[in-house]
Amino acid sequence: MTRVMVVDDHPIWRAGVARDLVEQGFEVVATAADGAAALRIVPAANPDVVLMDLHFASGGPSGAETTRRLIGSRPDIRVLVLSASGEHADVLAALQAGASGYLMKSASVPELVNAVRRTAEGDAVFTAGLAGLVLGEYRRMALDLRSDAPRLTDRETEVLRQVATGRTARQIAEALVISHRTVENHVQSTLRKLQLHNRVELARYAIEHGLIDR
Amino acid sequence: MLAATDVMSPLWRGVVTLRVITAAFAIAVIIVHHDGFARPGLGWAALAGIAVWTVFTCLAYSHHVTRRISVIVVDLVVTLTLMGSSALVLSPEQLAEGAGHTPSLTTVWASGPVVAVAVHTGWVAGALFGLAVSVVDIWLRGVFTTNLARDTILLVGTGFVLGLAATAARRASEQLRRSARTEAATAERERLARSVHDSVVQVLARVRARGGALDGEAGELARLAGEQEVALRCLFAATPPGATGERDLAGALQLLAGPRVEVSVPAAAVPLPAADVAELVALVREALANTARHGGPEARSWILVEDLGGEVALTIRDDGPGVDAVLLAGAESAGRMGVSRSIRGRVADLGGTLALGTGPGQGTEWEVRLARLRPPRAAVSAEP
Repeated sequence: MTRVMVVDDHPIWRAGVARDLVEQGFEVVATAADGAAALRIVPAANPDVVLMDLHFASGGPSGAETTRRLIGSRPDIRVLVLSASGEHADVLAALQAGASGYLMKSASVPELVNAVRRTAEGDAVFTAGLAGLVLGEYRRMALDLRSDAPRLTDRETEVLRQVATGRTARQIAEALVISHRTVENHVQSTLRKLQLHNRVELARYAIEHGLIDR
Repeated sequence: MLAATDVMSPLWRGVVTLRVITAAFAIAVIIVHHDGFARPGLGWAALAGIAVWTVFTCLAYSHHVTRRISVIVVDLVVTLTLMGSSALVLSPEQLAEGAGHTPSLTTVWASGPVVAVAVHTGWVAGALFGLAVSVVDIWLRGVFTTNLARDTILLVGTGFVLGLAATAARRASEQLRRSARTEAATAERERLARSVHDSVVQVLARVRARGGALDGEAGELARLAGEQEVALRCLFAATPPGATGERDLAGALQLLAGPRVEVSVPAAAVPLPAADVAELVALVREALANTARHGGPEARSWILVEDLGGEVALTIRDDGPGVDAVLLAGAESAGRMGVSRSIRGRVADLGGTLALGTGPGQGTEWEVRLARLRPPRAAVSAEP
């Protein structure tokens, strides 16, 4: 049974999501009201998937920062971000920090259940919104000529655009005459490249600023 | 007020420091030259006067309450009086302007009120006070020589330049204060938005999600809650137009998000001229309305915004029945395809390009590309 932890500072929301998940056959092993509490509880609760809010009224580490620390100490944990609207920059930060995907808080229960299930299986949940964000970040990096940031291949760009406009992997595979699995691989690799680049940048930043030894 | 005082304080400290240094110099000059004075007793009195007045003005100029124009005017009068007393104290030989000329009793100390008024009021007062001190100096000597001309230029110039600098510093600090206030207001707005967002909106979303599956009145209530949730979310997503006359296309389009409309945008804002954003939003609304009309209630739409630097791409797709392109062309020429024509017209007015992809059972996809007239914002490298 998939072990899920819910991190959100809103009690009604937290309890509601936990109940939905339990009804759908998940095991909710813990809930936490903020990032600091989540980091404390995780070693004991040992979840497979963490549903992560991005902002906590009590302050402390943000959802993105909590994600970075969680994945840093427990690379096997999957983080699914549940975001309110208008937080795209923060969602992107959480994705770069290693989150597997994000879902709007307004998503329906079946969408949530499906997302948690796929996240537990190790796949990034590529919604249209996520594809738009990842595509946007590659577009931004492409404008920076000095950067050695990763680039998308034409095929990857095409696949991301199709996902961002709501097409399913099957539809894309049909349209581009490739296999369903190839489409999935393209999509997953775009996010992985982004996360890897972010880790390299972080390490370089730390070395340049004397935060860690060469 | 506080900010303006803060930015002027270093200048006033400079005024005080200069006063002390020039007083020490004037006193030294009096001591060195007192042997040749016509009235040495009066000379010592002037020395005492310089010392006392230096202490008084330094105290007055150290506190912003006493940095008043009246104090500075009195300062000028006292300084000029002490300077003028040189006419009685110095011997005629000492007063004679020549090779080994003796400075007046006050010498460079007389610059005190000039720099003070320049810092306090500005360049006009600074230059005028400089002129007043120069006139007394020239009257003292009875002639106008190259030396005196040089002193005049230095004094008037000092008052002028220092006055300009003080005015510029005051303006800069005022601007800084104003932008700090705007920033605080924006931060407060965002805090409010976040707070409402994380409470009211979540509860509404929860009601909608739980009640959506129910029938009857409960289902109806859930639907109403959902509408309010979308309305509130949109309110926060909308960014007010900035001072540059640009608006964020991504934020504006998020207003249109709903249960059947998904909006995919980059993480950063996509600034475009406000008028273009309004036109693009109207265009998207039209396309969405068209989908709702022809695609039925189950049809979904996706909107994708891409910022390519030199141009912005906007894609609107639905999973409705779609149209046969040949039929569409025929319908259009027959004047029955109002939407297509209207969208084409809007894109043409904006100076963009439009591509339409459709086919039976494949939905409809519009792709609008709009070139930026101005060069894109400088791309910033990712700084973790």
